[in-house]
Amino acid sequence: MADINNTIATTTEVVITGFGGQGIILAGRIIGKAAALRDGKESTLVQSYGPESRGGACSAQVVISDKTIHYPYIRRPDVLVCMSQSGYEKYIDDIKDSTLLLIDEDLVHPGNIKIDFFAIPATRMAEEIGRKMMANIIMTGFFTAISQKISLAAAKDTVAESVPKGTEALNIKAFSKGYDFGLALLKGREKKAAGKIGAIA
Amino acid sequence: MNSFKIILFLCNWGPHAAFQELQDKRADIPAEIKMIRIPCSGRINKSLLFKPFEMGADGVLLIGCSPGSCRYGSGTDIATRSTEDTRQILELLGLKKERLQLNTFLPDEPDALLQFLKNFCEEIKAIGHSPVPSEKQEHKTEESASLAEIISSHDIYACQDCGKCTSACPLTLSGKPFSPRALAGSIIAGDIESPSVQEGIWSCLTCGLCYDRCPSAVNFPDFIQNMRIFFKNKDKNGHESHGGFFQSLMRTMTSPAVNTKRWEILPEDIRIDPDSKTLFFGGCAPYFDKYFNHNLGVSISNTNMDSLRLLNFFDIVPSVLSNERCCGHDLLWTGDLDNFKILAGLNIDAMKNLGIEQVITTCPECYRTLSHDYPEHGIDVPFKVTHMYDILETEISKGAVEFKETGKKITFQDSCRLSRFAGRADLPRKLLQRLKPDIFKEMPETGSAAICCGNTGWTGCDSHSKALQAKRLRQARATGSDLLITSCPKCQIHLKCAMQDPFLGNELSMDVMDLTSMIAKTIYWK
Ligand code: SF4
Ligand code: SF4
Ligand code: SF4
Repeated sequence: MADINNTIATTTEVVITGFGGQGIILAGRIIGKAAALRDGKESTLVQSYGPESRGGACSAQVVISDKTIHYPYIRRPDVLVCMSQSGYEKYIDDIKDSTLLLIDEDLVHPGNIKIDFFAIPATRMAEEIGRKMMANIIMTGFFTAISQKISLAAAKDTVAESVPKGTEALNIKAFSKGYDFGLALLKGREKKAAGKIGAIA
Repeated sequence: MNSFKIILFLCNWGPHAAFQELQDKRADIPAEIKMIRIPCSGRINKSLLFKPFEMGADGVLLIGCSPGSCRYGSGTDIATRSTEDTRQILELLGLKKERLQLNTFLPDEPDALLQFLKNFCEEIKAIGHSPVPSEKQEHKTEESASLAEIISSHDIYACQDCGKCTSACPLTLSGKPFSPRALAGSIIAGDIESPSVQEGIWSCLTCGLCYDRCPSAVNFPDFIQNMRIFFKNKDKNGHESHGGFFQSLMRTMTSPAVNTKRWEILPEDIRIDPDSKTLFFGGCAPYFDKYFNHNLGVSISNTNMDSLRLLNFFDIVPSVLSNERCCGHDLLWTGDLDNFKILAGLNIDAMKNLGIEQVITTCPECYRTLSHDYPEHGIDVPFKVTHMYDILETEISKGAVEFKETGKKITFQDSCRLSRFAGRADLPRKLLQRLKPDIFKEMPETGSAAICCGNTGWTGCDSHSKALQAKRLRQARATGSDLLITSCPKCQIHLKCAMQDPFLGNELSMDVMDLTSMIAKTIYWK
């Protein structure tokens, strides 16, 4: 695959996909707003509506860049976040070798794919804190930790101002769960790479 | 004045004849040596071997009969084991094992004996004085509260005489003529000298089950603690097990010049950061391991090592206190408040100097003592005390870790200090839930209602506490489990001890493992 040239390298294209009702668009909006309003970057958001919003596949396309964005549609995402199997299947053929793939491990079964991916049981974790609908916020935290495309402070503040009044604390908790899980996963990979899988040598 | 002090325990039989010949000849036996005639070297147990060091001796010699010539057969062997274990403990304490030596002589070896005594004296002089002063500085003994004050501050008058405590007390249920209700009643009546009160005060396990049941919230274990302090101040002795060895060990650590070496040998895979403001406090584990080396074969230090490995696993690299002393739990619970406070002060000062912000410990007694008893007794604790399980729970719940199947059927022994006193019975269970046992089955009495392991603070161990341990182990076996998980090092020691009952054979035996070690063995990055 031809390499992308330098001017576009400062741009990150993120696709988040799942079912309607999972809060996919809100996750996209939080990521975009965090980048644009708090991290001082440019961002755009394109949402897929139509028949998809009624429980079918649904997606948010977010572009984050240091420069003015001329084209908000995404063909080959740098980061692909999948919260449903159908969403995954729809986008998986568009990925590049360098694409960062994040999935909800209980909802997406990737099968044999050529790239590495990062999995989190976001929906299960949301159920554990008693709010299944916060899986998107957990995923946003996970995205923040793994991709490093938006800052932690920006992400947290944006979560707090984007969710219904009175649910801020719980949403921040959900976000932190996802974020901590992401960091733990990165730490675990680092350890595994160094040959330290268990606690006892 | 500043002369060296050497104690010679000398067996009555073989070597004493040789010594007597030296005396008759007016041989120049070094003046530093004070001889104590003993019936057999095998009778000088570890607590007697150690006691002179607590009192400031610079060296101790145990001299018995040559192998094969022991009048009682096994004396020399027992002496060899006791000396070996005690020497290792001296080493851990930083007193140097060379200060204690065992040797054997025949009656017709006076010259060899004299030469040995002289050499030992020279060796001790070369090592120098013991860091433990022989004259204890007279520190102000705090006026203990009067009986009336103890009774009123514990609100013993609130007792409704309902007897719930007695019917819950595991000691009473083991058949011992012991009743917390009656004990409280006798003390209120001022009958403190009676044998039943004297016996009762030192028998209570301070397990706290009665307090858990009492409708008037009479804190019986705390009351017992105060009564013990009261009696200790009146020079009344307790019923310390193992001849008071552990209390003696802890009192030795109250000398500021003692420089322990308990952290000296760490396995290579463990990372420590001397500059870290998070400190791991290990407790007395290495001393216990050495003490029980020949009896129980316990390895309590593994719990500490596995704790450190788990911290490292999560990229937490703590410091350790190179001169760590015992937390003082066992002194406090056997009434030695003065020495408890000295130990606490020395530990706290050392940690203050390092600017420690957080102390992590796996031992439930250290946890209880540092977090509760230090402040309770007016010792300021300028850092946060965290139990290892809290760290584990936080880190594990972040995710990305998994557990290997244990392949074991598991049951769990609660620690009274963690599950009942600190009210954290849920904490080990959360962790147990994460493990992958074939089956996890609780015993009939669990959590805050759990039965004690049979001893606290090394006091009052007797046939009744043994009966209660046997009952507990039978409960554990009746769950059909093949592994008993513990959370307190002492539970492991006391229960393993009970398993060795020669009359019960293998009836009580069971594999035992600490929860932290089980986690360390099975956890991995997903
Ligand atoms: S603390 Fe335990 S051993 Fe002591 S009286 Fe209460 S229940 Fe009995
Ligand atoms: S349970 Fe409490 S109120 Fe009842 S007899 Fe015991 S100390 Fe008294
Ligand atoms: S149960 Fe065994 S180890 Fe525990 S105090 Fe008694 S004799 Fe010692």
